[in-house]
Amino acid sequence: MTKDDARNLFMDYLYGELDAELTRNLELFISKHEDLKQEFEELSGTRSLLQHLPVQSPVEQLVIMEPEKESAKTSGNWWSTLTSLLLPQSSFGRTGFAMATFVFLFFMMGAFTNMNFSVGDGGVNLTFGEVAPVQTGYTAAQVEMIINQVQQENAQLINEYVLAAQEQQEVQFQQTLSTFAQYFDDQRESDLELFNYSLTSLEETTYNRFQQTDQVLGEIIQTVSTN
Amino acid sequence: MEDAQLVQDFLGGNHQAFNVLIKRWQDKIHHFAYRYFASSDDAAEITQKTFIKAYQKLNTLEDTSKFGSWLYRIANNLCLDELKRAGRKKSTSLEALKTAPQTEMASPADGKLIRNEALVLLHKALLQLPNDQRMVVIMKEYEGLTFREIAEILDESENTIKSRMYNGLRALKKTFDSWNINKEVFSYD
Repeated sequence: MTKDDARNLFMDYLYGELDAELTRNLELFISKHEDLKQEFEELSGTRSLLQHLPVQSPVEQLVIMEPEKESAKTSGNWWSTLTSLLLPQSSFGRTGFAMATFVFLFFMMGAFTNMNFSVGDGGVNLTFGEVAPVQTGYTAAQVEMIINQVQQENAQLINEYVLAAQEQQEVQFQQTLSTFAQYFDDQRESDLELFNYSLTSLEETTYNRFQQTDQVLGEIIQTVSTN
Repeated sequence: MEDAQLVQDFLGGNHQAFNVLIKRWQDKIHHFAYRYFASSDDAAEITQKTFIKAYQKLNTLEDTSKFGSWLYRIANNLCLDELKRAGRKKSTSLEALKTAPQTEMASPADGKLIRNEALVLLHKALLQLPNDQRMVVIMKEYEGLTFREIAEILDESENTIKSRMYNGLRALKKTFDSWNINKEVFSYD
């Protein structure tokens, strides 16, 4: 046995997992080597210190609760059996059943509470108990008040209409005057231009006649002088 | 009644058999987790999760005679998961512990105080071990499992487990020496 072999057996020996023959051999070998003996004592001493480590026990005991059995759930409860027979099983059926139940309860409640349901100009009316009498027609005071109100509204409306018509007529008259003045100015300018043009034409014509006359006279004078 | 029989009863529909198993193993799993984290809250949480997982997965246990080892394996995996989940927090606290505390051998009147302090340091020294060594030391020293059982639980060879145990004890010895923790400290009562 070598020292490494002995060290490999230390852990088994320290915790009593070494068989008897190997234990005797190891103890004999250790007794002959002081360094191994000291090393084993250190390991043993470390182990004895570890034994002092305190520990805390759990505060409460854990318990696993047994899940409720399906058979007990259905057979042991007569109410569950009854409801499962009466009520629809599908979600669609349950929804329809719930709506029908609600409508039935609604009408039952209406029957017991004299519920009245009506539709008028102001919307839908839902009332319970005795219905208050509805007043039909107007009183004389209300009719007079309505006539006065209508007359006032008509007078105001006519007044506003007349004012608006007057304003419109004034605007149209001013527009007409303005248009006529503009037309008169344009006509006058046109006549002046025509007159000016005529004068210029006459002046040019006269000038040309004078030149023609001078030319004829010159030709005559020349002819006479030549002869 | 043996664990294997209780497991069979539970698989046969007797839920109370599982409560018997809980009663039998709760303390051990709690102690295991408490020594691993040095926290009652963490230990309680790991214990609860261990039994919930065992309840859900018990039908996957092939050899019912190894229920204990199987339970420790679940607890061990949950401890490692917890370390990963809160790794930063745990490692920070462990780093803080690496500063050597001052323990003075005072008068015998302070003996009880010194002993209490030494007990705290003992746990701190254990927490300073690497996870794989700490797990083996706890399983061997406190849970009393054989090296073969630990090897099965951690899915390692027996020699690897013994090597981790040896190195763990050597590391603890160094820490105890540096913090002046010795058997005289615990002789005060």
